[in-house]
Amino acid sequence: MSLRVSRRNFVAGGATLLSLSALGTSALAQEKRLRLLWWGSQPRADRTNKVSQLYQAKNPGTSITGEFLGWGDYWPRLATQVAGRNAPDVIQMDYRYIVQYARRGALAPLESYMPAKLNLDDFDKAQIEGGSVDGHLYGVSLGANSAATVLNTTAFKEAGVDLPTQATTWEEFARMGAEITKAGKRKGMFGMADGSGGEPLFENWLRQRGKALYTADGKIAFDVDDASEWYDMWAKFRAAGACVPADVQALDKNDIDTNTVSLGKSAAGFAHSNQFVAYQAMNKDKLALTNYMRVKADSKGGHYRKPSMFFSVSAQSKSVDLAVDYVNFFVKNPEAALLLDVERGIPESKAMREVVAAKLDENGKVALAYVSGLGDLAGKLPPPPPAGAGEGELMLRNIAEQVGFGQLSPSDGGKQLVAEITQILARG
Amino acid sequence: MSNAMRTPAGAINVERYQGAVAEGRFRRLWNANAPGYLFLLPWLVGFFGLTLGPALISLYLSFTDFDMLQSPRWVGMANYVRIATADPKFSAAMHVTLTYVVFSVPFKLTFALLVAMALNRGLRGLSIYRAIFYLPSLLGGSVAIAVLWRQLFASDGLVNAALSHFGIEGPSWISHPSYSIYTLVALSVWQFGSPMIIFLAGLRQIPQDMYEAASLDGASKFRQFYKITLPLLTPVIFFNAVVQTIDAFKAFTPAFIISGGTGGPINSTLFYTLYLYQEAFGNFRMGYASALAWILVLIIAIFTAFSFLTSRYWVHYDD
Repeated sequence: MSLRVSRRNFVAGGATLLSLSALGTSALAQEKRLRLLWWGSQPRADRTNKVSQLYQAKNPGTSITGEFLGWGDYWPRLATQVAGRNAPDVIQMDYRYIVQYARRGALAPLESYMPAKLNLDDFDKAQIEGGSVDGHLYGVSLGANSAATVLNTTAFKEAGVDLPTQATTWEEFARMGAEITKAGKRKGMFGMADGSGGEPLFENWLRQRGKALYTADGKIAFDVDDASEWYDMWAKFRAAGACVPADVQALDKNDIDTNTVSLGKSAAGFAHSNQFVAYQAMNKDKLALTNYMRVKADSKGGHYRKPSMFFSVSAQSKSVDLAVDYVNFFVKNPEAALLLDVERGIPESKAMREVVAAKLDENGKVALAYVSGLGDLAGKLPPPPPAGAGEGELMLRNIAEQVGFGQLSPSDGGKQLVAEITQILARG
Repeated sequence: MSNAMRTPAGAINVERYQGAVAEGRFRRLWNANAPGYLFLLPWLVGFFGLTLGPALISLYLSFTDFDMLQSPRWVGMANYVRIATADPKFSAAMHVTLTYVVFSVPFKLTFALLVAMALNRGLRGLSIYRAIFYLPSLLGGSVAIAVLWRQLFASDGLVNAALSHFGIEGPSWISHPSYSIYTLVALSVWQFGSPMIIFLAGLRQIPQDMYEAASLDGASKFRQFYKITLPLLTPVIFFNAVVQTIDAFKAFTPAFIISGGTGGPINSTLFYTLYLYQEAFGNFRMGYASALAWILVLIIAIFTAFSFLTSRYWVHYDD
């Protein structure tokens, strides 16, 4: 077999090779490259990529590549990349994991860049605190949100039940829920979701009672009586038909698609404010947001404005300066703010909040109005959860299910929860 | 002059002679087999680089407290001690997995054998049936099927819709701790394709004249099955049982998708591998998860060894 190459082909091929090698060298010579990693859905990815393009347009010679995954796949991927010394430069970080990653040296401290390169002057002070671990800033908050009750207003109206107000207590809400169930306007629809296994609900309820989930030094901050009373309250709701039965609640995988409101199995459910747009998109009925119910008519401070997610910079990054500049652009550039909207929560920068608020659509306004209108229901941001908090959350849900399916009494459930969480925290 | 030339006549330089022969043999072997080794190279690289290497590293990690972010610290037997003495979730996961193995493997094999015998009758369009029946096995591990299963067995799913025609109000099979594991068993039985194909091949090996002789002697169909088919099929049954048992121990995807990675409700779908995954990637305990993995290797090895030891009493090879 012989290979014949015409002169023209040879020249063309050579030119291609030359230009390819030129591309290669220029790519190698280019120092300004960033890799981003975040969790979320396609709409979030579109917004993020548009901001990256905007940044590249304003900073010629930089190249930014972004990658995103669902929440469940995100953490294994990130942990593996960090372990493999191949971490992305800019990492979307969650409040739950920031202590673990920061204490283990995976994140770069950013306070030395402030305020010259990273200007967070008009940020909420408490939210900057939220990204700090042991006195160093490891995460820049991309938005605030709060836990919230999602209401299917159409279902409430059909059952002839008024919507709850900011003053409604859990007991009153349970009566309303039982009424909706009893009205039976829709097949298989109950008043509310079973929140006994939901960590944000339990935390909110504890905080209204002046307790918390965890102390600042990572110890358990509630006792057996609290936990037993909590499980007991929901057992009564379940018995009264105010909330869905245990086997319906067990379908909830702790995401928007499988929430009992989205499945049409309850008129009220529990979520986070920045998820409202997605909830409304999934539901034909008109939805609304309100706070978690009060423990007593005068109890305060259960809610807090949670930094919904952070951008952190990897300690392994070769271009920390560029990464910091990108993060600053992300949270402080008005054009970027408009592209991002409130999809990651309400912007922390006051100036950006004003930019975004002027252009919000109706659903976006619901979340903004809700978070800024919490009043005395909003309290101080709790300290970041300790290592083991993820296990504690699963345990709260596991025992809630055992109580729900009648395998455990509420008081035994409370005892077991405290014992298990104490053990988990001791193990670290 | 060389040394070799100086050796006295009659004395052969043995070492050198053997060396030359060995070298020649090696070269001949290499020349004959080089293409083979070359073709094997990707597999060899994969085996040493992606299977054996990581396995040995995980053995090392199982004696450390590796959290994937900091370098591993040697803790000796601590992980194994905790598994043996102080981990209720380990026993919960073991219980779920053993239940799954004990129910799914026999049902799946029985079902596969029945279908294989039905298909062995020489139907028209046999290959199409074979393909259709094999299809679930191909889709089996996929996320879509696990999602479909959720839809089938939810409280308002197809299964309960069918039951309601008979006046039965079924629970939400998939989300009730007493039933959820059995919906996963059903999912596994439904994926009977690969053992079925192997059974089909085994059935083809049985000489037809045996059946002819048996029917001449007046043996019933059931007796023919019991006295001819089953004994002659034992090597195939043995193979399928071992492979399916190992597979069942390693099951992961359906439980992961259906429970959303929690193993709930109440740990009722907490498969061993799911627990291992939670420890490794959810709680950053790669060292502990490695120890769990090696315990699983040990358990599978024991089960397999047991199968081989007992096989001599019930597996009949044609000799």
